[in-house]
Amino acid sequence: MDVLQLGSYTFSSRLILGTGKFSNSKVMLDAVRASGAQLVTVALRRFNREQLEDDLFGPLSAMEGITLMPNTSGASTAAEAVRAAHIARELSGSPFIKVEIHPNPQHLMPDPIETYEASRILAKEGFLVMPYIAADPVLAKRLEEVGCVSVMPLGSAIGSGQGLATSEMLSIIIRESGIPVIVDAGLRSPSEAAHAMEMGCEAVLVNSAIAVAGDPQEMAEAFAEAVAAGRKAFRAGLMQKSGSAVATSPLTSFLGTL
Amino acid sequence: MRAVPEWLADDRGTAALGAMLSPTSSHSLEALAAESRAMTLRRFGRTMTLYAPLYLSNYCSSGCAYCGFASDRKTPRHRLEADEIRRELAAMKKLGISDILLLTGERTAAADFDYLQRGVAIAAEEMQRVSVEAFPMSVSEYKALADCGCTGITIYQETYNQERYEALHRWGPKKDFIDRLETPARALDGGIKTVGLGVLLGLSDPVEDALNLYRHVRHLGRTWWRAGMSVSFPRMRPQTGGYEPTFPVDNQLLARFIVAFRIALPDTELVLSTRESATFRDGMAGLGITRMSVESKTTVGGYSENKEGDECEEKERGQFEISDDRTTKEFCAALRRQNIEPIFKNWEPAYNGPSGTINPERKAKADTLPNKS
Repeated sequence: MDVLQLGSYTFSSRLILGTGKFSNSKVMLDAVRASGAQLVTVALRRFNREQLEDDLFGPLSAMEGITLMPNTSGASTAAEAVRAAHIARELSGSPFIKVEIHPNPQHLMPDPIETYEASRILAKEGFLVMPYIAADPVLAKRLEEVGCVSVMPLGSAIGSGQGLATSEMLSIIIRESGIPVIVDAGLRSPSEAAHAMEMGCEAVLVNSAIAVAGDPQEMAEAFAEAVAAGRKAFRAGLMQKSGSAVATSPLTSFLGTL
Repeated sequence: MRAVPEWLADDRGTAALGAMLSPTSSHSLEALAAESRAMTLRRFGRTMTLYAPLYLSNYCSSGCAYCGFASDRKTPRHRLEADEIRRELAAMKKLGISDILLLTGERTAAADFDYLQRGVAIAAEEMQRVSVEAFPMSVSEYKALADCGCTGITIYQETYNQERYEALHRWGPKKDFIDRLETPARALDGGIKTVGLGVLLGLSDPVEDALNLYRHVRHLGRTWWRAGMSVSFPRMRPQTGGYEPTFPVDNQLLARFIVAFRIALPDTELVLSTRESATFRDGMAGLGITRMSVESKTTVGGYSENKEGDECEEKERGQFEISDDRTTKEFCAALRRQNIEPIFKNWEPAYNGPSGTINPERKAKADTLPNKS
């Protein structure tokens, strides 16, 4: 059985959904269902215990077959993210935490230093830590060393729809990683998700592309199919791209004369 | 006299914005709106963050020619005491509000920094996100405010045209153009996380003001790179003092400003208040605006007094006239009809730096403000 292994948890779906940006929670829940996702992330700042109509956590936690991964979006330092992780675990009971630390609220690029520090602390405390990072191969290994259960490098800027703009760095991360690599952010189309899976990503996280699609439910299904197809292709082994084929081997033919 | 800062002459990015802003621009408004809509959707999704203002006090020491709270206006003055603030907060929470903007006039003895700080401390006990629109402060005062749970400040320059500014601000501390210009930077130095900027459209040449506002945003963003920023588009409406805008901005031009700012500042929160009509707000909701006030009262004590059915003998006037007077429920229903989700809570006090923890000092501060009764 081909499963996504995160810590001691296994998932048959390799599509992870983000839950912000939807036009209402019913559309969001329908999209989650249609995607077949088993792991979804929800921002602690969208937990609202005082007004249930505004709360994203309640309806998601009531869904069967879904594991929630709270995220720390909004935190700008390691200390804030650690504090948020504690509150999120208290409220949700989930062992997962997606560490998202973007000190610049305009472009939302993750802070490597604060993310490393928060991940180190939280992994030590027993959280299953999934850090959102720039596509930095060295940082990815450093996070693996401190006990993260995956790394989540960005394909391109959050909400940009620029696809796998970082693919060169992603392929190094994938090649070197001992933990699942999950592309997070920037995907616009299912074909990009398929491409990420063909490259060897263990899963992808999609939010905007589904939330702002004309028909989010349909788009969620499309992403699910693309992720499954990409994974299948990766496992089957893609044929090599053709180089410039040459009939003779002028550079090494001397070896035959020895 | 201190010199006008260098960034006001920084022309990076202004040509492109200027080309979109001019009323005679070759860019069609419809085309700009389409681009703005697409950018807003990608970056912010189908959502609208909501907040509401809470006027703590209408005492004021300044003589802004256009303002209903200016110190020469004959409006009854008062400030809310601790029990009254709590009553207002309770009334606002019933509406679902968790993100509030506390307002006062310019600094006075009756509503000074200490008063404001206690008000913030009380509000932070009840609300998820507390911002302040009051008077310019020192770095240490901003730090103290942040420690009490204040996340953001709003400080409009009103106009970046120094001559117009000095003519309109007839007396009082607000007369100091440069000091006001430097205020957002002091707030960020003091640990305030987000600053809200804006010009009051109608006071001066709107295109010139908009370009300088853009320069201000970019300057702050480059220098205080962690700063959250928002830009508002308040437009002059009829006032108690009878001020008529010298440079009126019509609906077409205001819409043009909003979509052009979205294109020029793709990641910046753009705010539109209840000064604008329901139709205009509904129309702009998908076209660039990402944050809106809702069911606003611009009088001191406006939220709870209606509920009690008090008949005021003397009709108090607000700071400005509300144009969109829909209830929160009606407003949210209108957003939902457009497939936009209203968001009441989009913040977590855990992200308020050191003050995000249980804070006994804040509690002590909150308890020092006396009750009315």
